[in-house]
Amino acid sequence: MNEYFDSERFIEDIPKILPQLSVTFSIVGISIFLGTILGIIVAVLRIKNIPILHQILGIYISFMRGTPLLVQMMIAFYGIPLLIWNLFQININDWSPVVFVDIAFILNEGAFLGEIFRSSILAVDSIQTEAGYSIGMTKTQTFLRIVLPQSIRMILPSYGVDIIGVFQNTSLVFTVGGVLDIMGRAKTIGTATGHTLEAYLVVAFTFVIISLILRFVFYLINEKIRYESKIKVDKRKKHIENL
Amino acid sequence: MAFDLENFLKSLQEAINYLPVTIKLTVVTFVFSLIIGSVIAIIRNYNIPLLSEFFAFFVTVYNGLPLMVALVIYNLLYMNYYSRIASFFHISKAISDISPIYVGYFALIMSSSCIYSETIRGALKSIDKLQYEAGYSIGLNKFQTLRRIIIPQLIPVALPGLTNNLVGTIKGSNLVSAIGILEVMGGAITPCAISYSYLEGYLAAAVVYWGFSAALEFLIKRGEHYGTRYRRSLA
Repeated sequence: MNEYFDSERFIEDIPKILPQLSVTFSIVGISIFLGTILGIIVAVLRIKNIPILHQILGIYISFMRGTPLLVQMMIAFYGIPLLIWNLFQININDWSPVVFVDIAFILNEGAFLGEIFRSSILAVDSIQTEAGYSIGMTKTQTFLRIVLPQSIRMILPSYGVDIIGVFQNTSLVFTVGGVLDIMGRAKTIGTATGHTLEAYLVVAFTFVIISLILRFVFYLINEKIRYESKIKVDKRKKHIENL
Repeated sequence: MAFDLENFLKSLQEAINYLPVTIKLTVVTFVFSLIIGSVIAIIRNYNIPLLSEFFAFFVTVYNGLPLMVALVIYNLLYMNYYSRIASFFHISKAISDISPIYVGYFALIMSSSCIYSETIRGALKSIDKLQYEAGYSIGLNKFQTLRRIIIPQLIPVALPGLTNNLVGTIKGSNLVSAIGILEVMGGAITPCAISYSYLEGYLAAAVVYWGFSAALEFLIKRGEHYGTRYRRSLA
């Protein structure tokens, strides 16, 4: 019996798998970008507390938080073509499955980011809104110029964690047939050569390394935007020096 | 192409039949991960040399590994090395007689322990140093201080985070279907193989998961009153 793990095969697999990162990153990019827009809309609508809409959004968020992403992806994959067919009589069965994966990710992100945004917007003191009104700003101006910039600082730490979570969740998309991300590519290498372990280990290392890089980047960003604690430390230092 | 209620109900029936498997996976993972996670968090909180650095490194790296990838790799290793290890320990059971659910438990517990340890460590950090000093000053030792002073204050702080983690574990438990264990999702789509009613199958699975996690969250919200009873009396 030959060796189960072979380092040569491991190195050979790297250039085969890494190009598929573009699929992974496109899913992450699209779902974060459109998910953020959807999240802001969800958050603002929930804060406005419009009667029936509020309950509908509550159910939407509860569904997205309470069911596994894998199940949501499959429902999007099988459900959306059926829905479109019944509504518009358009056959979209031949669309790329990546589209449905993207839709599932966007809807999922919209719910999670919506909750993050909502809590951050609510965490901005109402005095700030009043201050905006008192100098004659309209509601939109106050929100865009006063409240949103302050809440972004509170959003960023959880936003970073969320993006890393989306990146890791892309490891599920290969279960939808025909999506070739790094995990799907590893599976096809396994089927073609009969050696699966090395390919999956390449995927594991890729995920760990990129997650660590992302974590480090968000750590740097968070350090950059922590103005007030830095000022406090500086003042305290000066105070001690003066003594 | 249409939504078929009959197939949906059939899938729902199957999904409910397999709910005990998901509950078992969730409960076992939660209990073990809570214990291991607390130990890791306490080791890192007290800065025990070597162990604390090791776990800091391990938790950081392991959090970068998606559960699905870990699960697939563990399953491959298990399938390939089981017979060798079994013959080494003189275990006569064949691999086909052992349920792969233990691989599922292992993968779930490994990743959940890391996540829970971070939640508990965050809660530990929120407790003021004065509390430890107060404990020591009246002559309690380290363990007594932890058990009687720190942990009772820790529970209400950690509970919301742990609730989120628990729901995450329920949702993560469906990944074990990738290594051939039938749970709610796997069960719900078994009847679909004949009728090709996958949409109905996955919808049925979603309903069961949704109900289960909503019920748990409701119960924990009720429990929060119990957990914070010392806190409220102060306010």
